[in-house]
Amino acid sequence: MTSQQVIEGMRAKFGAGLRDAQEPVPGTLYLTVDKELIQPACCHLQDDLGGRFLISAGIDRRSGEGCFSVTHIFSRDKDKQFICLRADVPENAAKVASITPWVAAANWSEREFQDMIGVTAEGHPDPRRLVLADDWPDGVYPLRKDFPYDAKPEPVQGAAPQFKEAPEGASTVVIGPFYPVLEEPAQLRLFVDGERVVGCDYRGFYNHRGIEKLGDSVLTYNQIPFIAERICGICGFIHSTCYCETAEQAAGIQAPRRARYIRSIMLEIERIHSHLLWLGIAGHILGFDTVLMQAWRIREPIMWLCEKITGNRKTYGMNLVGGVRRDIPADLHPEILDIIGKIEAESLAVADAIQGDTTLLVRLQGVGMLPTEQAKRLCVVGPTARGSDLDIDARVDHPYSAYDELDTRVITHDGCDNWARVLVRVEEVFESIRLVREGLRRMPDGPIMAEVAEEIPPGRQGLRTIEAPRGEAIHYLMTGENNRPDRWRVRAPTYQNLQALPSMIQGETIADVPITLGSMDPCFSCTERVETVDVRTGQQAILTKDDLFRLSRARSGL
Amino acid sequence: MYETLGFAILNIALVVGLAPLAEGVMRRVRAIVHSRKGPPLIQPYLDLLKLLAKEDLRPSTGLLWRMAPALCLGATLTAALLVPLGPPPPLAFGGDVIVFLYFTALAGVALMLNAFACSNPYAYVGASREMMMILSVEPVMAVALVTAALKAGSLTFPDLIAHHAQSGASVSMVVAGVAVLLALQAHSGKLPFDIAEADQEIMEGPLIERSGPGLALFRLAAWAKFLIFASVLVQVFVPWPRSGFWPVNLAVNFASISVLVLLVGLVNAVNPRLRIDQSMSYFARIVVFVALAGLVFATIGA
Repeated sequence: MTSQQVIEGMRAKFGAGLRDAQEPVPGTLYLTVDKELIQPACCHLQDDLGGRFLISAGIDRRSGEGCFSVTHIFSRDKDKQFICLRADVPENAAKVASITPWVAAANWSEREFQDMIGVTAEGHPDPRRLVLADDWPDGVYPLRKDFPYDAKPEPVQGAAPQFKEAPEGASTVVIGPFYPVLEEPAQLRLFVDGERVVGCDYRGFYNHRGIEKLGDSVLTYNQIPFIAERICGICGFIHSTCYCETAEQAAGIQAPRRARYIRSIMLEIERIHSHLLWLGIAGHILGFDTVLMQAWRIREPIMWLCEKITGNRKTYGMNLVGGVRRDIPADLHPEILDIIGKIEAESLAVADAIQGDTTLLVRLQGVGMLPTEQAKRLCVVGPTARGSDLDIDARVDHPYSAYDELDTRVITHDGCDNWARVLVRVEEVFESIRLVREGLRRMPDGPIMAEVAEEIPPGRQGLRTIEAPRGEAIHYLMTGENNRPDRWRVRAPTYQNLQALPSMIQGETIADVPITLGSMDPCFSCTERVETVDVRTGQQAILTKDDLFRLSRARSGL
Repeated sequence: MYETLGFAILNIALVVGLAPLAEGVMRRVRAIVHSRKGPPLIQPYLDLLKLLAKEDLRPSTGLLWRMAPALCLGATLTAALLVPLGPPPPLAFGGDVIVFLYFTALAGVALMLNAFACSNPYAYVGASREMMMILSVEPVMAVALVTAALKAGSLTFPDLIAHHAQSGASVSMVVAGVAVLLALQAHSGKLPFDIAEADQEIMEGPLIERSGPGLALFRLAAWAKFLIFASVLVQVFVPWPRSGFWPVNLAVNFASISVLVLLVGLVNAVNPRLRIDQSMSYFARIVVFVALAGLVFATIGA
């Protein structure tokens, strides 16, 4: 079905309720509907058109159009389309019907715009706070334009997280707020009957950093790639690439082919390092430290390689809007191929050892089941989805960078358990190695940075997805006045995948909860976007060790 | 009497002195498998010294809490007095095999009491797992020792060893020995059976609230437990070569134990952890049957 057909179908169904339909870039549709029709329109997209829910964005448009807007974003993978369904919400009646009872995957997205913009999702089955801290005052919405990015409202005294009650006959095991296995802050409450999990509740976002607010308020287009890279310590490059490609789409800039190839190669290298890291963590969770040590030893040359290419082990700092900052010169290619080759050989050995280990199989097979239908309903992404036999991969569904020229094999397994997810990631390592080789072979000559006009015009929109190691990441950008972004929306893959956790651990024993959580490779940082103690004033101040001590002591008084 | 006292001191000294070394070797084996250098072999001694000097944080002032480390180590070392390490055991008397089983179980119970005495949910989970491990593993050792006792017609360790050394290998003793070997990994609390404590899943389980000297005593008790069980396995089920001169027996014993140290260490390094139900299933379905088979063979005289 083409975009035109989608629009015509919407018009036929909703008539004048479809206020506007734009397609600024082929394949990305921006539709505006009446507020009352948001729920039937989303159902139409999901049920009739086979759309997959991605994310929602709440936007404060009061200075421009005098209202808020709620945008639900869907993807039609097979036809390579994005559909953004927008409803405008007046300030004095800031509510919209919740779509979660019909689109289960929208659960967190709606709670997020409730917290951040203050538009209530009426009829949401679980309208508790998601992102904001429990002692954040009511009625204060950070992503509204009248809230300064550095405002610090008075904490509410005596606040506590609102947790669900344990069901009859079950006791509660609390894991967190410092989550022991992954050493990140998150609170998982397991309702257990003996050793079996009968339910759970999750409280996260302890490390929410307000990065989107920084993007909206004080950062320029070319500062954002560097902060985007710091959204995550393992998969930062995907965020900076996705943002840059989103900005390039919005501004109509075409990054040179060589730059796009460089991005793809670095993305695949990042995937290799991330999957090997994950393999080690998964082993560690199971008490199999040998896998941890060996996988990380095998991975170490990749980190050195990245340092050689980019100057950094992990936070590459390669991307700018319009291209990349550093080239991969031809004299580096043999070394890259050599290192990749060694990693391939050693990874093959580890993969063989793992597949033959009966104790490992006993711990991973049949555990953490996520049936295909459930995976589809909750719109999970990445290896979590592909391990449940869902054929979705942003490199193929919505090609970006050089993936329109590099053929990616999408690896799926139908086990739907932890073991299937292990297999998917192990095989993806080898596929990434192949893609790096092909990328190097086919890399064209040419510039690595496009000529970018002085200013990017306001009022443009960009939407791109990218296949991170953990799944699909989404960036949405609305350009604004003064050559600055107006709204920057990020969704990391774990944000969607974590919502499937309760389903995956239902009926499992406590012992299997960490590995099940680990099998979806959760990146809490991507999801949380931690609050940094940013003390930069207008001036460039270099903080000495004494300054930092002073600040940390002052802060601890809160 | 002085001879008994001398052997008692020797036994305790050997167990307390060499148990950390056995642990140190196991850590080095693990490091080699990991392709790393690993800590020095004396690291466990340094760990104990460090812990003894640290503050003993107390979540509870109860008697159980204060008593549990001493109870655990005390029970283990009392069991050590019953175990032949080469020289004749200091406290040999009729039925000492049964008393040995009780004292080693008491050490496990002390760990559990310690966990219940601190009100930490992770400790409770760990204690329940420890209980399930004890219930799975103790019967194996009991059945195997009863098998040896049946053959020797006595329930005293020196008699068991003497009889087996003289009469030579037999089917029942080999089978019983295999059962004890299969149970050794769990008795030492090593992977794949370190389910109760040192758990990424429940953050150290029963020992989560322990610190300082209390933790040192529990750790030493765990390492001593391995040495004691290894010694029983070697002495009762593989008592060759044997001489009348006890220092030779001592040397042979520790040489055999070294082999077990390497074996347990290697299995520890190349396995992930089992779940408690999988571990219990392994013991109930396989190991207990092996032990019972040994007993059956012994009853029919084989």
